[in-house]
Amino acid sequence: MRSVSVAGIGSTAFGRLPNMPIEALAVEAAATGLEDARIDQREIGALYLGNFISGPLTGQEVLAGIVGDNLGLPNVPCTKVEGACASGGIAFRHAVLAIATGQCDAALVVGVEKMTHATTPDVTAALNCAMDNRADGVSGLTFPGLFGIAWRVHTQRYGTNREQVSAVVMKNKRNGLKNPLAQMGANLTAEQIAASALICDPLQLYDCCPASDGAAALVLVASDRLDRKDRVDVAATVQTRGAARIAGHPDLCSFDATVQAARRAYEQSGLSPKDIDFVELHDCFSIAEVIDSEDLGIAPRGKGAVYAAEGRTAVGGEIPINPSGGLLAKGHPVGATGVGQLYEATLQLRGKHPNQVQGAAIGLTHNLGGTGVACTVNILKRSDA
Amino acid sequence: MPDVSVLKCRKCGALDAGPRLLCPNCRSRALEAAQVEGKGTLLSWTIIRRAPAKMKALAPYAVCVVDLEAGVRVTGRLQAVDAALRPGARVRCAALEGGVAIFSAEA
Repeated sequence: MRSVSVAGIGSTAFGRLPNMPIEALAVEAAATGLEDARIDQREIGALYLGNFISGPLTGQEVLAGIVGDNLGLPNVPCTKVEGACASGGIAFRHAVLAIATGQCDAALVVGVEKMTHATTPDVTAALNCAMDNRADGVSGLTFPGLFGIAWRVHTQRYGTNREQVSAVVMKNKRNGLKNPLAQMGANLTAEQIAASALICDPLQLYDCCPASDGAAALVLVASDRLDRKDRVDVAATVQTRGAARIAGHPDLCSFDATVQAARRAYEQSGLSPKDIDFVELHDCFSIAEVIDSEDLGIAPRGKGAVYAAEGRTAVGGEIPINPSGGLLAKGHPVGATGVGQLYEATLQLRGKHPNQVQGAAIGLTHNLGGTGVACTVNILKRSDA
Repeated sequence: MPDVSVLKCRKCGALDAGPRLLCPNCRSRALEAAQVEGKGTLLSWTIIRRAPAKMKALAPYAVCVVDLEAGVRVTGRLQAVDAALRPGARVRCAALEGGVAIFSAEA
């Protein structure tokens, strides 16, 4: 398998972008990525586009072909992939494989979603497409509900409290203030968080990420084709499947898909959690960051929230998590999120991030979809690391 | 106390909360409805205050996960939530609503 590198990156802001239809978001991010890569669009051999709910929310499908056409790509395969909130990470992995196996020398990855024009019940209904509707759907479960259920188990087993989980929210919201692409950076107090509306006990309003519009893109190339001093290489890319229904999880506060993906990514890269300099992980809810950090081996089991409360996961701490602000502050345009994480990781490894982790050489991204039914874990590293 | 309807594989005997098309254990298509006792242990629950459009009339309602004594984990709802309810509490199926088991604390 050939080594693959990130040659260029592009992103729109994440947030409420009423004047940008879905295809405009995708094309804008992709065009910026091509410019950053200093590559002609005719050199692109494949396009993979991650998107989840463009059908129900915008009435537009075949987005990969539409974006390829607008960019003036040659007659190459343009493929939309869907894995709920992990759609972007899956698109990335497929593009890496296309180059690694010699199908092409350069590929474009785009992630995009358009959500803020729709009403909350319509967005909730669309997001619920990520559930096995024959099983969990009929009970009335929602995604915040899934994480409310997980939180209660975490509290019972490890004693995790409101204040510790609030540390995750405060950290990510604060990180978001430094990221010009972020939708909802804020300086929040523990009191404000504890006073916010209950959504799905014990989950409250500030524990939830917003709905967002946005797109991100990466240009990937075979490493030996890239002459760039700040080259960023793909050290591992792994995709796994977990339970498609909540009752299918052997443990209600751990996602097997994440545990397995992380284990394989460390194996593939020859690295261990100790080698990772920063993490961009799937904090769709505050408690998700707690669980993810444990599943990824970044925090000891049961200590994810304590790690945040002790400042270990802040920028400047021993293992910064979500210096971009994460989904909680940067926003969650569902299909774009996984690609957005890789965009942020690449900026960190180039040493150009607005919330820079000093000396960052190796970064990990984690993207989780549905009830933990789809997961990708990627490790990027500076070529001189 | 109503029984809870699950799926039983005629070939290997495995139980599953369903619905499913194939037995996840032996891939047999011969799955049949089986009634199991609605007694079990409450693992966790949450109160859904912002429901999907088609469940709006019911909100707020509590979704729970229960390990039935028969050896099947099911998603259902709680009839009522009170402060005494804890993960690990003994619950039993009190009613069925549209195929969904509604649990209450065991007296």
